[in-house]
Amino acid sequence: MFNISKTICGVTAATALLVGQALAGPYDEYQGTTLVVNFPAHPHYDAVRKILPEFTKETGIEVEVDQLPYLKMRERQTLELGQDEGDYDLIAYVVFSKADYVFADQLENLARYFMNPKLSDPSYDADDLIDGYVYNIGFAGGSKGYLEGKTGSLFGIPYGSETSILGYRKDIFEKHGLEVPQTYDEMLDIACKIPELEPGMGGLSSRAASGHHASHAFLLHLAPLGGRVFDDSWNPIVNNEQGVQAANALKTIVDCGPEGAASFGFGEALGSFLAGDTAMFLDTTVVAGQIDDPSKSKVVGKVGWALHPEGTRRGSQTGGFGIGIPKNAEHKEAAFLLMQWLTSKKGDKLVALAGGNPSRFSTHEDADVNAKFPHMATFGEALKYADPDWRPIIPVWGKINADLGTTLSKVLTEDLDVQEALDGVAERTKAVMEEAGYYTWSE
Amino acid sequence: MSTSTSFNRLTPYVFLAPAVIIMALALLYPLGYMMYGSFREWDPSQAMGESTFVGLKNYITLWNDPNFRESTLVTLKFAVSVVTVEMFIGVGLALMLDRNLRGMSLLRTLFILPMMIAPVVVGLIWRYMYHPTLGIFNRGLKGVGLESVDWLGQHALLSVIIADIWQWTPFIFILALAALQSLPRSALEASRIDGATGWQQIIHIKLPLMMPVLIVTCLLRLIDAFKVLEVILVMTEGGPGLSTEILALRISRTATEFRELGVAAAMSNYLLMLLLFITVLMLIYNRIMEHRAAKANRMIEEAH
Repeated sequence: MFNISKTICGVTAATALLVGQALAGPYDEYQGTTLVVNFPAHPHYDAVRKILPEFTKETGIEVEVDQLPYLKMRERQTLELGQDEGDYDLIAYVVFSKADYVFADQLENLARYFMNPKLSDPSYDADDLIDGYVYNIGFAGGSKGYLEGKTGSLFGIPYGSETSILGYRKDIFEKHGLEVPQTYDEMLDIACKIPELEPGMGGLSSRAASGHHASHAFLLHLAPLGGRVFDDSWNPIVNNEQGVQAANALKTIVDCGPEGAASFGFGEALGSFLAGDTAMFLDTTVVAGQIDDPSKSKVVGKVGWALHPEGTRRGSQTGGFGIGIPKNAEHKEAAFLLMQWLTSKKGDKLVALAGGNPSRFSTHEDADVNAKFPHMATFGEALKYADPDWRPIIPVWGKINADLGTTLSKVLTEDLDVQEALDGVAERTKAVMEEAGYYTWSE
Repeated sequence: MSTSTSFNRLTPYVFLAPAVIIMALALLYPLGYMMYGSFREWDPSQAMGESTFVGLKNYITLWNDPNFRESTLVTLKFAVSVVTVEMFIGVGLALMLDRNLRGMSLLRTLFILPMMIAPVVVGLIWRYMYHPTLGIFNRGLKGVGLESVDWLGQHALLSVIIADIWQWTPFIFILALAALQSLPRSALEASRIDGATGWQQIIHIKLPLMMPVLIVTCLLRLIDAFKVLEVILVMTEGGPGLSTEILALRISRTATEFRELGVAAAMSNYLLMLLLFITVLMLIYNRIMEHRAAKANRMIEEAH
């Protein structure tokens, strides 16, 4: 009897082992692999580094991180992706690189990984990923060539994405009985009231310096005010009524802003809000961590968050980073597993708790995340209005963007007429688009 | 016999060969690559071979591009102003400090400190000093009851010029000082005996004798000033508008932001041509001056 039960035990154990082998975990095959990933120096990716040991513990896949300042990162990727065999298995890229990399056929289409039952996790729940981010950063080949649509497909997954949000000083608003602005008119009105109510304080701090700073700030207002850079046939319409309205909004903000606002880049604009020199800040969600950090901020606990004000529609920006697998990667499957783990519900929550920007609706509603970061619910609400098309993601955009930014800077500093300035931009943009072949079918 | 003669004749070339090969590889190859690239429409994602040949298109586009012209003008304004002011201050300082004072070597070391600082750091330091509210200049102005100045806004070009002068005057200073100290003492003593005043010594003896060194120094600074990038990139990023967008910055933006390597290469070639032109001009000027001096000497000798 004793012997029999011993035998049964032995057989059970052996069967369990065999079955275990047959039903090997999805990660077993890749145990011991070392992935090399290229990430930017950015608060989100600092948080990612904190959670990577958890991934290695769970899967046995090692991860080596090459973290670079983001302009440097793009340069390095341009060189790496052009080679036959690249060093990177997974890369983080900015929205604009999507256009370049996909066009140069340097990023893996993710369909074959999500189709593979051995790799694709059935509980991944892709519908929970924030729509605007996925369309903005992950998709290519659909509507306008750079968005989602029937002809589009997925090349990357948003990771470390951002949208715009209005930060305001609760104490100042309470002191003067001001309502949190819901619309553009209200926001501009309050922005110019603040310097009168609180001498020495600016209304709203915004980027405005020549180049991409000024252009970013303008586009931030263009979408909610109902404008676009191009119409459906790629004709520049940046100089229409809405465009002029957006440029005027920017000018009002800078004129009523802190001293020297016209030369502010992102760093200065944020710095002036952190130093308590301005009452409002309309920019990316990524700053939340710094605003609550007493070593960087003089306004800890004094800042409230609200949705990006509404013009003729709601439309906050979409930006930040996504992750994708280079065509020339050595360990593509393992890289996909890392990508899937990082952007899974579990990974997204972990990175949010470590101070990163979550990419899922559920993470924004998560009780633990909200307990630690009370602003997360408002951010989640803002994401519903994240506009993937607030700026065009086409290869020639860099040039148009630079022209738009320097011209707007002239409006802000040299009193160039708004309409005249935007007419000039539209004319030069038309020439750039013509040369790039965007009117081939309309001629 | 003849073999050994020809071998002897070849010997110098054999010894020169390694240097020539290294020169060709390290200098001419990249230069040739850039020239070749400037005739092509070339995106950074492409290998050079995949790019398309477009002839002189990049050069013609640039020639008609108002932004490029504005950048060239800004570069000229910047380079001419900084080099002129730096030459005056640098040579002036050298003339003043060319004497045996106590602690002179310490002073000299202090003077050349700015040019030892990395350009990015210089840019950052000045950017913070120019900050509209937190910067030391505006705080100082406010402290004495004056209006604050919009340094990096309305006066951006002046602000970057001041920063460059701060950083690079020491370069002129040390070279001018070295030139001064190597002047023949006999000429100076003779003039003193003849009753020349300090100013007369400077104008008629020191400066003319220093001239060849000063011309080379000026040329080196001018070439450098045409290519300055980091300090301006950090301080203003070329703004506001295009008011401080010097050519080097425009080249770098064209290559990275606009992703047009061919146009960037063509722009570099324009800059190279401009610098070559200036160099040749200065060398010709130098040659004429030498020629005149030689002629004057001959006339003096003949008179004796």
